[in-house]
Amino acid sequence: MTVLEEPIKEVLTLRNYVGGDWVDSQGELIDVVNPATCKVIAKVPISSSDEIDAAVEAAKEAFPDWRRTPPLARARCLFRLKELMEKRFEELSRIQTMEHGKTIDESRGETRRGIENVEVATGIPSLMMGYNLEDVASGIDEYVIRQPLGVFGIIPPFNFPFMVPLWFAPYAVATGNCVIIKPSPHVPISQVKIAELVDEAGFPSGIWNVVNGAQTIASHMLDHRDIKGICFVGSTAVGRDIYRRCGETGKRVIAQCGAKNFLLVMPDADLERTIAACMTSFYGNTGQRCLSGANLVVVGEGLNEHEYDSFYEKVVNAFVDAASKIRVGYGLDESVQMGPVQNKHRKERILGFIQKGIEEGAKIRLDGRMAKLLGGWPHTCFLNPTVFEDVTPDMTIGREEIFGPVASIMRARSLDEAVEVIHRNPFGNAASIFTSSGKWAREFQYRVQCGNIGINIGIVAPMAFFPFSGMKDSFFGVLHGQGQEAVRFFTESKVVIQRWF
Amino acid sequence: MAEPNETMTTASAIISFAEKLEEDSFRFYGELAEKYTEERETFLSFVKESEKNKVLLTRTYQETITDAIEACFSFKFLDLRDYLVETTLAEETNCKDALKRALEFEEKGSRFYMDVAERSRSLLATIPLAFRKVAEVRNKRKLKVKSLLEKLT
Repeated sequence: MTVLEEPIKEVLTLRNYVGGDWVDSQGELIDVVNPATCKVIAKVPISSSDEIDAAVEAAKEAFPDWRRTPPLARARCLFRLKELMEKRFEELSRIQTMEHGKTIDESRGETRRGIENVEVATGIPSLMMGYNLEDVASGIDEYVIRQPLGVFGIIPPFNFPFMVPLWFAPYAVATGNCVIIKPSPHVPISQVKIAELVDEAGFPSGIWNVVNGAQTIASHMLDHRDIKGICFVGSTAVGRDIYRRCGETGKRVIAQCGAKNFLLVMPDADLERTIAACMTSFYGNTGQRCLSGANLVVVGEGLNEHEYDSFYEKVVNAFVDAASKIRVGYGLDESVQMGPVQNKHRKERILGFIQKGIEEGAKIRLDGRMAKLLGGWPHTCFLNPTVFEDVTPDMTIGREEIFGPVASIMRARSLDEAVEVIHRNPFGNAASIFTSSGKWAREFQYRVQCGNIGINIGIVAPMAFFPFSGMKDSFFGVLHGQGQEAVRFFTESKVVIQRWF
Repeated sequence: MAEPNETMTTASAIISFAEKLEEDSFRFYGELAEKYTEERETFLSFVKESEKNKVLLTRTYQETITDAIEACFSFKFLDLRDYLVETTLAEETNCKDALKRALEFEEKGSRFYMDVAERSRSLLATIPLAFRKVAEVRNKRKLKVKSLLEKLT
């Protein structure tokens, strides 16, 4: 076993990036720990509300000139940023593995997804165009102009330290706004590295700011009267609170929240490829994705009892067999397929769910609690894949978001029953169907109340030029991150009606 | 790069192996160009090809890897040891033996790229395309090496 070279050689002391300067925070420094090795790799400050105020002031000051900067010139800053990200692609990816724990393939995938958003935002001269119509009345023309609003706050989660802020920030700055990003204190390094590249790319001061910290400053951002909107990705409880509070202060909100994603396997599914897709879905990123598969529903549509039992067993056995072969270890080891969870508290939470599953009567087919690892890493944050079968939708593990490498297999006799099970769950982030039938696929797509629908797809991750959708308790807001919707979110549509005497 | 073994299935491991294959190639043919000067131009053209191959493969991987593909689970049942060739030549190796080694290297290399192209068919189109392109380069090279060998016998 050989581990790829770590790009962080000594403990970093992170600073805030405010008004184009690197600023030492007055806040307490806390450790950023590599969950695979348990070594401290950085110290991150927990900044104060005053430091957010300073960032907002810097952004406000920068806004008028940035807004007046031609869209093409703003796009050129993004082109330079993209080039720098490409140059540092490997380093940026390995840092994600070090701070988060995901495998190197997953980190590179995350880097790519992030860069793709920068690429899409470089198209702003076209994306931001308004529209017009002559002669809406005699001699009168009408048109729409899209204008930026000012300062936006971005509060990302811990599970995609590089990519998630890039669902928003490139579009915000491309449209002429300024941003303040508050990274998760568990995984702040990637955003600090991006800010270094922003600086190198020659963005004017105050356009792109990073203030490290925790809940207190996030809360302060919600109440700040000079912040025009908030982009949040995280839990439903927090997202709902953000939506309410931002409503009170008149802010725009994108709040992408929790999930409990169902994957249906129909009797005509290509089982080999379905199982391969399921492994990525349930165990990729160690299950810490809002798009991760959580419940695998084996559907017996059109089968008699005997045939259904046999089909169910076949799916369960294939799933358990594949999951049991997943190699777990440090993500910088290229032979590893699943890394640790991001921190030990997350692991304890997941263990609590597994215990609950056993207590509530689900049958544990693969027990990942005693982790077998490639390499002699401390077991602190590691788990192996776990599989439960005979899970019902009312059990805790069938109902709540676990956010870890735990699969719950359920039964449904028909597609109708499976769709009903999905709808009984409060979340509506993603759902997939594995089938060879166009009819079933269309029915699924038409009826299921989830924002992201997969047809023979395990991870329904929208590309940068499509919105990252979500419904029910998985999303609060109207417009979504990425692509055209992000452009609309970050701009006001001003209508002009014009007549010349 | 991790030691190749039968359990290698991640995209990262495959790309690292391919990059190593191309690095070994430009070192190997660079040595041949220095030692056997009568075919220097041919060997140097192989060196250039391998440099281009490496850039193509790395770029294709980095530009297409996303969580939309099953990157950690795409290449199962591939034993990378099947494609290994010893490319360090002993001091006294003559040109004919060196060419025989080159032929084996190209055959295994080409087979490796065809095998991974086949296994990556379900991924984004650019991935199998890049593997097939490098396999074709290696196939053409194989023919050139064969003709050089025939010249010597």
